[in-house]
Amino acid sequence: MENRIVVKCKNVGKTFIQGKEENEVLKGVNLAIKEEEFVVLFGLAETGKTTLLNLIAGLEPVTEGTIEVNDEIVDGPKPNRGMVYQTTSLFPWLTVLGNVEFGPAVQGIKKTERRKKAQYYIDLVGLSGFEKTYPIKLSGGMKQRVGIARAYCNEPKVILMDEPFGHLDAQTRYLMEEEIERICAKEKRTVIFVTNNIEEAVYLADRILVLSDKPSHIVKEYQIDLPRPRNITAKEFLRLRKEITDFVERSAGEVDG
Amino acid sequence: MAGPEEVFALICKYFIEPVGRTTLFGHIGASLGRVLIGYSIASLAGVTLGLAMGYSKTVRAIAAPLFNIVRPIPAVAWIPMTILWLGIGEAAKIFIIFIGGFANTVINSMSGVRTVDPVLIGAAQLLGASKWQTFRRVILPSSFPYVFAGLQISLSGSWMSVLAAEMVSSHEGVGWLIITGMNNANTAQIMAGMIPIGVVGFILVSLMRWIEKKLCAWNDRSR
Repeated sequence: MENRIVVKCKNVGKTFIQGKEENEVLKGVNLAIKEEEFVVLFGLAETGKTTLLNLIAGLEPVTEGTIEVNDEIVDGPKPNRGMVYQTTSLFPWLTVLGNVEFGPAVQGIKKTERRKKAQYYIDLVGLSGFEKTYPIKLSGGMKQRVGIARAYCNEPKVILMDEPFGHLDAQTRYLMEEEIERICAKEKRTVIFVTNNIEEAVYLADRILVLSDKPSHIVKEYQIDLPRPRNITAKEFLRLRKEITDFVERSAGEVDG
Repeated sequence: MAGPEEVFALICKYFIEPVGRTTLFGHIGASLGRVLIGYSIASLAGVTLGLAMGYSKTVRAIAAPLFNIVRPIPAVAWIPMTILWLGIGEAAKIFIIFIGGFANTVINSMSGVRTVDPVLIGAAQLLGASKWQTFRRVILPSSFPYVFAGLQISLSGSWMSVLAAEMVSSHEGVGWLIITGMNNANTAQIMAGMIPIGVVGFILVSLMRWIEKKLCAWNDRSR
């Protein structure tokens, strides 16, 4: 079972049509993601990273090619994929517990069983004591923790994370990256993580896939074999970070910073 | 014209001594009873139609044009047709009150459904929710603050149309007080009808606010 392919994209393309305007966002995307692999999709702004994630989730239909998750062709949203969103997507009328157990609840899992499960993941993301709190009372970082617990608690085959820390302040962001590292070490899952932050990519990824400008496809792949948890000031870390930065800057033509 | 102290004295007297068939308490009670029946029917029908119009394009396409034409017609304008259709009994009065509350409930319930964040719907589906579960567990609670705002406005609307309703041959009620007061040029009696409409309306709205605060603790509107 080791190294089984969980997510496969074959020649995937996506064109949005708005009136007479055609907007080709993705073209010829091919990728294969192995079980328990942590893959970072890296791209600059407007490169269709989120679109690709939405396609894999089944929230949008592909216009070209096919996507398979767990050997099944994706044709709509299904609970074998879990999503952690960029901005908070918690159900504001449900408590932390209500949000985390939403998936098991709609799938008819008995109350005692799903409570136990939800509690495990609430504890895992470090929110013990906040079970009965409504999202409105939580900070940005805490909301994302709930989002992570909600996705994990549903036990999907693959967890999609769409720039989950993009809206957090720098300090909270570092903290959450460490948390993800800790959670993934404890609960190994297949993860596709979207970011436009190279440091974050190198810190978290087993493999980084770099997306080109629109229409986006994968232009480069980096296997990151540094031991975990990674030290962001280690020599090898900095070298990789620079290598990727140089590549991105060169291929983008002009990039600030 | 009666001075303020005279009006005040008269209102106090009306609480004990009957005007027409009953005391002021009786009049307020009679009006409240009608309003609660008309309002309940308006709420039930309005929320149902509004949610359906928000959820289904087809229902919206059929119901919206008709609804938008009927909506601006004030409750008073319905009186003659109502008498023709329903006679001059309780049913006619309840119908007028229904008209006073119906539209706002429909409009608010519809916009409640239409403003649901599509990301939340996608999130629910990814977590395994069926169409019905998505409706019941996401669309419904998400539109609840809107639905409730509609129910609040329509309660005022229903209560305000009590006067129009009681123009249809009534024998009691705060509207009746105003109408007979007008016919007898008794300004004190008119005031004795107007002031309770104001006070009871205020109490009803405050009550709704309080309920909303209890039910929507998760929402920023109620904080």
